[in-house]
Amino acid sequence: MIEIVSLRKEYDNITPLTDVNAVINDGDIISVIGPSGMGKSTFLRCINMLEKPTSGKIIVNGQDITAPGCNLQKIRQKMGMVFQSFNLFSHMTVIENIMAPQTDLLRRTRQEAYDEAVRLLKLVGLSEKAFSYPDEMSGGQKQRVAIARCLAMDPDTILFDEPTSALDPTMVGEVQAVISELAGTGKTMIIVTHEMGFARAIANRVFYMDEGGIYEEGTPEEIFESPRKEKTRQFIRGLKVLELTVREQRFDFLGMQTEIESYCRKNLIPYRMSRHLHLAFEELVQQILVPGMDRPDIFCSIEYSEKDEKVLFSVSYGGDEIDMSGEDSSLALSVLKSAVTDLGHEVSAEGARKNHVSMTILP
Amino acid sequence: MLQISKELIGDHLTVSIAGRLDINTVPELESQLDSSFDGVSKLTFDFSDLEYISSAGLRIILSARKKMKSDNAVVIKGASKEVRDIFEVTGFSSILDVGLL
Repeated sequence: MIEIVSLRKEYDNITPLTDVNAVINDGDIISVIGPSGMGKSTFLRCINMLEKPTSGKIIVNGQDITAPGCNLQKIRQKMGMVFQSFNLFSHMTVIENIMAPQTDLLRRTRQEAYDEAVRLLKLVGLSEKAFSYPDEMSGGQKQRVAIARCLAMDPDTILFDEPTSALDPTMVGEVQAVISELAGTGKTMIIVTHEMGFARAIANRVFYMDEGGIYEEGTPEEIFESPRKEKTRQFIRGLKVLELTVREQRFDFLGMQTEIESYCRKNLIPYRMSRHLHLAFEELVQQILVPGMDRPDIFCSIEYSEKDEKVLFSVSYGGDEIDMSGEDSSLALSVLKSAVTDLGHEVSAEGARKNHVSMTILP
Repeated sequence: MLQISKELIGDHLTVSIAGRLDINTVPELESQLDSSFDGVSKLTFDFSDLEYISSAGLRIILSARKKMKSDNAVVIKGASKEVRDIFEVTGFSSILDVGLL
């Protein structure tokens, strides 16, 4: 079992991990997903102390491996790592690459190491490449050799740091197949990956990392089907979000319009849809809501789903409910309705901004 | 953002508007129009290069129409499909002559 307690990792100018807590049980297969730069790889590298945590504890089978004087070598023997780049020795044949750690570190005889290497090469489907050199192989084959070499140490835990992200797309499948094969052997595996289908299929638990820690965790069904928290949902659904807050009667409309424009351009939102989004923002916020408020407190969220090619526009505001169908608003409301569909309005019982208006922007 | 050009032939004023007619740019058009109504009995808005119009833009057209003596003195021409759709849903196309060209 691996327990991670209040793990923090700071660099000079960035703190990717502020407070990570997790318990990883023997035999767990954990997919670690999340946006780039959110500390997924750092987290993995801290688990086997390739990166020294700034603070916090990592307890492996009851032993705190962050404690001074801990025999890291021994811990690492039981914790293998597979890297994005395969890190094979290019001057050695494939089988020598797999034998070397066994003879050097486990003090196996050359015959024992050879027999084990032959067995492992068969496992990863590369028996016929035993005497090839790494440079003679494809990326996918090299990564399979790297996995075999990792297995040669007979680790209890294997850490995979984006094992397929350096590969040509045609080779991703063969490496994933080998990793999936290992998933049935009872080893604990922690896999950082950007391949969502794979992350979902292989794991019994998924960690979504954001905001300096494990932002949400759950079963693959929970995370991929019904994530509870906002950022997880946005990430899983491939949502691109723009948030705008209006706090003054004379707010910077032009500035916000420019932000919406560049958001549309960046996400390649079709021209007509972007016009409709501009109209929705101007009519609802500028024409209908703001004039009825002494001290506006309006929060706008624009979500573009690449998957569905849909833009959702939702607005929450504090204070009393504004009557959108009042006479002063009728022209603005009809223009708004020409640009959106599913216009809904509801009032929640709690929160500072109780009024919610939501709509789908027309294509 | 907004380019306005005016042409007066006899009592017929044509105002060509290019760009966006929204809450930001409406004041500019408003000030241009204020000084233009003397002796004008027919007003045409040329929207051939108008990319966007919001309710703020519609209001100014409505107020221009009120300043004219006859109800059918204001004509819209050259509006794109998007702009015409907005005239349609707001009922403006039933009170204004919104032509294609």
